Amino acid sequence: MKARGLTSRRQFLKLTGSSFSLLALAACAPTQQAPQQPSTQQPTAPTAAEASPAPSGVELRMSWWGEQEAPGLENWLKESIALFEQQTGHQVTPTLQDTSVVISEFQTASAANSAPDIQYFWNGIYHMESVWLGYVEPLNGLIPDDLLKASNATVLSVFGGKQYRLGWYAVPMMWVYNKEMFDKAGLNADQPPKTWDEFIAACDKLKASGVIPVVGGLKDGPWGEWYLGHSLTQNLDSPGEAIDLFVGTRDWRDPQHWEPWAKLEELWKAGYMNDDMNSIDLYPGIDLFGAGKGAITQIVGPLVPRMQSLLGADTVGAMVMPAFGQGNMAGKPIADTQGLGISSQSQHKQVAAEFLIFLHQPERVNALWEQVKQLPADSTWDGSVIADPLLKQIWQEWMHGDNVPYISNLMPTLFWTDAMFVNSQKIIAGEYTGEQAGQNAHDVTQKWVEQNPDMAEKYKQWAAEMKL
Amino acid sequence: MLRTSRFIPYLYLTPAALLLAFTFGYPLIAIFDFSTRRIRGASGPFIGLENYRQVLNDSVFHQAVAHNAHLLLAVPILLASGLLLAILLYERPRWWPLYRTILFLPYMLAVPLVGIVLSNMLQRNGIVNEMLRAIGLNMLALDWIGSAGLALWSVMGVIIWREMGFGMMLFLARLQSLNEEVTEAARIDGANWWQRVLFVTIPQLRGVIEFYVVISVITMLAWVFSYVYVMTRGGPGNATIVIEMYLYNFAFRNALPGIASAVAVILFLLTLGLTIPLFRLRAQAAEEDRA
Repeated sequence: MKARGLTSRRQFLKLTGSSFSLLALAACAPTQQAPQQPSTQQPTAPTAAEASPAPSGVELRMSWWGEQEAPGLENWLKESIALFEQQTGHQVTPTLQDTSVVISEFQTASAANSAPDIQYFWNGIYHMESVWLGYVEPLNGLIPDDLLKASNATVLSVFGGKQYRLGWYAVPMMWVYNKEMFDKAGLNADQPPKTWDEFIAACDKLKASGVIPVVGGLKDGPWGEWYLGHSLTQNLDSPGEAIDLFVGTRDWRDPQHWEPWAKLEELWKAGYMNDDMNSIDLYPGIDLFGAGKGAITQIVGPLVPRMQSLLGADTVGAMVMPAFGQGNMAGKPIADTQGLGISSQSQHKQVAAEFLIFLHQPERVNALWEQVKQLPADSTWDGSVIADPLLKQIWQEWMHGDNVPYISNLMPTLFWTDAMFVNSQKIIAGEYTGEQAGQNAHDVTQKWVEQNPDMAEKYKQWAAEMKL
Repeated sequence: MLRTSRFIPYLYLTPAALLLAFTFGYPLIAIFDFSTRRIRGASGPFIGLENYRQVLNDSVFHQAVAHNAHLLLAVPILLASGLLLAILLYERPRWWPLYRTILFLPYMLAVPLVGIVLSNMLQRNGIVNEMLRAIGLNMLALDWIGSAGLALWSVMGVIIWREMGFGMMLFLARLQSLNEEVTEAARIDGANWWQRVLFVTIPQLRGVIEFYVVISVITMLAWVFSYVYVMTRGGPGNATIVIEMYLYNFAFRNALPGIASAVAVILFLLTLGLTIPLFRLRAQAAEEDRA
């Protein structure tokens, strides 16, 4: 008997079936806002409407990275957001990204037309590819020219005369050395080696004194990237020449260009490096230096205070990679900055720019130093407040001296995975000579150009513009 | 008798069919489509089979395929060790539930955790080598994950160590559902332990063994990425790169989803090509059993 007022089993099934059909059809139907096709054209300059006074109560989304290398940055950012919200009535929702998704997540979100308003960008190709896809807004016109320049975003953030990234905090790239070990080995700790011959002589003495001259970890790859960033400059006159190599206009088989790997081979074969390089990652390799097990390592500025706390502030010294090449960039300190940019899909570019400008107000920049102990990217910041002599030296010589940009940031990712990563590890494994590494770099470059003819053209344009 | 239109059943099936088509069919079609384009962002120009040509001509891809083939060597080891452990536990030695738990424990641990811990232990100056040196076996203290000649074997060892528990549990569960009278009858007829295992027990496990082989083959071809990524990132050099890692590099690092899709299609066809004959053999054996 059918109960009056209740739905029968058949009716229920029909109803459920129809509902699911409708739901499925609705899910397949195009949404109201069609996804924006990526454009290979450059985004247009901000319009007059965008430049008009911003609406109040805007909600911005921000994806960022940095806490991983600069602990304390998250608290500083939260405080900055709270102050900004209090002053303007706008809201900023930050999302801390994992290292492995910083680039891919932004590109995927942009392809789906749901990019955050503000995005963290590493320098060079790590954001330029997104620029070429039309996902990043040029900052000229949104942010005052003097701030764009003062933020030290470097030439690697500029394409077609437009700047796409605003520097945030400084990432000077250097070698650090243990002064006590230098003293013990009979070396002058105040005069670290400047030429390759001096360096080899120093390594001999350090090894004879019972310490490992150079320590690092290659298993995950970035140590090899840093090494190439320091050494590839040696025979180049400008960053544009590095791009020439990456797109095949110059030849990796030319001995001067595989010389960096030949030097690595020389260090390894002489027994100047830790024997477990290929089986440990970057940070455990650096920790060997912090643990007093090695005399020299490669490092980035944000990690220097940690080494000082482990070894003593007076024990750590900073040096530029000793010069072996004849290029204009040889023997010069490397300056880089981490930065932020604005999505071309943002509906509130003006407010996003307002927030970026706010982060560079003198009070916020001072707070970045006071709270996080990170060197701000801003050249307008008064570095005289730095009491630590080493950090002061880094600020003056690396960030504001005669420096060069970090050219590993120009490396296509295929080169990273198939050439840089492979070459450095194979040299340490004894499978490659420097010359074979050059041949592999050449082969990988040819492969990349074949796979990316469109990007190769952009690269060439970029190289032509890029001057020191 | 209830009379309904012959279209009504199809109407009921429609929502599920649409959902299936959307969740499985659409990605498959999209991957095939992507594999014929130079994708930038969400789409790109049609380039025919160019992505396939580039992948098939790439020496790194050849190495990746060879490494996956190398890892297939783990399948017989997994099968033999899983079977042996299950049969030993089936004998119910004292504390056997504890042994079962201990042996199954690695399978319960997350792959990244296993990979990180074991790769730390296997470093040149890690705990394994320190122990070997401490007992005077310096010649065995090798660079397990930093040497091109050893790294893939080390990864394979870790995969076997973790995955073995799954096979053991599968076989043990099947053993516990067997009719013990058959084994008992063999014992009464004078069959020794080995004869009972080889001629009575294992033949009864045939179905689950075939299933496990298929699953293990798929694992070695298409489920080893997390081990490789965590333990070696494909290095040293390209000594441990596998097809999934090659695919990952193109999809997420090199920003070439078109090439990644071509690799995915090749991997899909490769897995299909290996598993279909295995399923056919299984179906054939089932037919024979019924006959």
